[in-house]
Amino acid sequence: MPEGSRATTTNRQARLATVLVVDDDSEILSLVARFLQFNGFAVMTARNGSEMTACLKQNSVDLIVLDLMLPGANGLDLCRDLRRWSAVPVIMLTAKGDEIDRIIGLEVGADDYLAKPFNPRELLARISAVLRRTQARPSNQAAGAQRLVKFAGWRLDTTKRELTNPQGIVVDLSTGEYDLLLAFLDAPQRVLSRDFLMEATRTRTLEAFDRAIDVQISRLRRKIEVDQELIKTVRGAGYMFIPDVTRGQA
Amino acid sequence: MNRPSSAALFLRSLFDGLAARTIFIVLIGIGAVHLISLWTYHHALSQQAELAGDARLADQLLSMKRAVMREPQPRREAVAHDLSGGPMEAHWSLTEHATPGGPGTEQWLALAERLKQAAPELDDGGLVIGANRRSADDPHLAIISMRLPDESWLNVSLVRTSTRSAQGHGTLISTSLMALGAVLLSVVLVRWLTRPLTVFATAAKGFSGSATPVNVAEEGPREVRALAAAFNEMQRRIARLLDERTQALAAVSHDLKTPITRLRFRTEEIADPSLRAAIADDLGEMERMLDQTLAYLRGERTDEAMQPIDLVAILATICGDRSDTGADVLLGGSRSATISGRRLSLKRAFGNLIDNAIKYGKKAEVTVLESPDTIEVRVADHGPGIAPEYRERALAPFVRLEPSRNQETGGFGLGLTIAQTIITGHGGTLCLSNGAEGGLIVTVRLPRHVVAAG
Repeated sequence: MPEGSRATTTNRQARLATVLVVDDDSEILSLVARFLQFNGFAVMTARNGSEMTACLKQNSVDLIVLDLMLPGANGLDLCRDLRRWSAVPVIMLTAKGDEIDRIIGLEVGADDYLAKPFNPRELLARISAVLRRTQARPSNQAAGAQRLVKFAGWRLDTTKRELTNPQGIVVDLSTGEYDLLLAFLDAPQRVLSRDFLMEATRTRTLEAFDRAIDVQISRLRRKIEVDQELIKTVRGAGYMFIPDVTRGQA
Repeated sequence: MNRPSSAALFLRSLFDGLAARTIFIVLIGIGAVHLISLWTYHHALSQQAELAGDARLADQLLSMKRAVMREPQPRREAVAHDLSGGPMEAHWSLTEHATPGGPGTEQWLALAERLKQAAPELDDGGLVIGANRRSADDPHLAIISMRLPDESWLNVSLVRTSTRSAQGHGTLISTSLMALGAVLLSVVLVRWLTRPLTVFATAAKGFSGSATPVNVAEEGPREVRALAAAFNEMQRRIARLLDERTQALAAVSHDLKTPITRLRFRTEEIADPSLRAAIADDLGEMERMLDQTLAYLRGERTDEAMQPIDLVAILATICGDRSDTGADVLLGGSRSATISGRRLSLKRAFGNLIDNAIKYGKKAEVTVLESPDTIEVRVADHGPGIAPEYRERALAPFVRLEPSRNQETGGFGLGLTIAQTIITGHGGTLCLSNGAEGGLIVTVRLPRHVVAAG
């Protein structure tokens, strides 16, 4: 594999993270395993639910990539069962492109979702993003605990990835804007550098690497700053999210 | 070249419906029967009247003849005079006044014949019917001369009056009323008879193939029942056929996703970066085609709920994403416009329209205009536009207008179809037009979100 295909983000992981890939298609299993190994992960594989459970009990796993369509128990059931005893982050894979699968997947406790056919680097970026998010949050706090984030009358539903304004109207965000907002919501009233924000948004929008972060910020501002300033420009340092942020289940 | 006149068009529009035509036929039938029976009736009536009149005349003449015969000659003229009255005037003389021939000869001969038939006694001594000997020029005045046994003559002058009466009016009105009643009744009956056909037309129009077919009630006359049964069966067959086709297409599209995923991973191991990029582009195109096919097959059957949503934010997201990849996209007009809609569906619809504008028109200019009831979104490009005669075809599924255009851009010809389905599903409209300075303009109108009171 050429050097160019190596995604830079993964190299920033401090230690070698272990990823368990669960898929019934052995071809996919070996391809994904090779790809992730090459990009700096320790990889284990499982073909079904019982193999997955066995593997989890014997090894320390940092993240599971779980196929939704598995023989016997499906991915959703496995994920729901898993959440009863483990907080291991899960990225759900599905061949269906329907939004509903993602929502259900996230509701049963998956941390992210990827529809087949997906770009390998997209998977890499998601793994890195989920690892970064889950390592930052307090231990034992599984996904699903903080699905709803509120600020200045706005509500962000992270299950549906849906932002609602104070009047209850849904305001659509691009993936870049969404990631940017998530980064702000994780650290309100703190100055975030351009580099940090660039890193936060780059995980998803791989094609927009060189897109100036200021453009993304101004787009986000145009959408959420209707009558008051929410994002403050700190000259020479970066940006700061002004309002208070509260989190809750519903 | 021969265009029907306005009168013909008017007639055609008047008798366009089955009901009107049936009533027209009934009307002609009733009219014909009506006229024929009226004529037959009148003919029989006048014949009867003529016969009766002849018999009466014969009786009168006979009784006159007898009365005059009984009297002595000097008193005969006086008696004849006394018996005169009405159209008849009788005179006694030694010679006959009538002369055969002259104007109206056949008429008199026929009368003589009929009188002889009615009362053979009249002809005992001799009977001459004809014009007046002295003034033989009045065709209406007939003289009937009867010879008495003593060789003298009784001459009765007779004015032929018409027996035709004006009694027809009453009959005409009553029979016309009857015909009118029959027509009114037939209007109701024909309506009742043709109602199943209207039901068929509605059912056929409503049949979309995707939704569950609405069965037509199998009732009415035998032919209509048979038609309803056949129609329902045909609906079921078409629905099943479409369903099978959809299932097959969806299964193929769906199953292709796994091999494409595998190819994606295998591509990562290709050393040549340009080859890797080219294959990745091909795979991306295949993905988009599968994605569009599945979106088309799914139609409006989406799990998303309708909610108040800012359309401008959606357009801003699409335009931002496209300009990030280097496309020339402009968004102008209102800064916010709320509609009631499904976020992902709308994103797909407008994404397709904007992508088309970029692909075929080099540049997408998106404008949002607000009016009291609707939000109008115009997507204009700088391409060749679409000629009016091709616009309807452009909205049909799997239609690509210019093969040359699609070789470089790919696609299935589903983009506009999907967009239109989604917009229509939101209660909106989508129409195509060409700009004044060229280029295609896609105008989408969506109903504005109504804020619930309180």
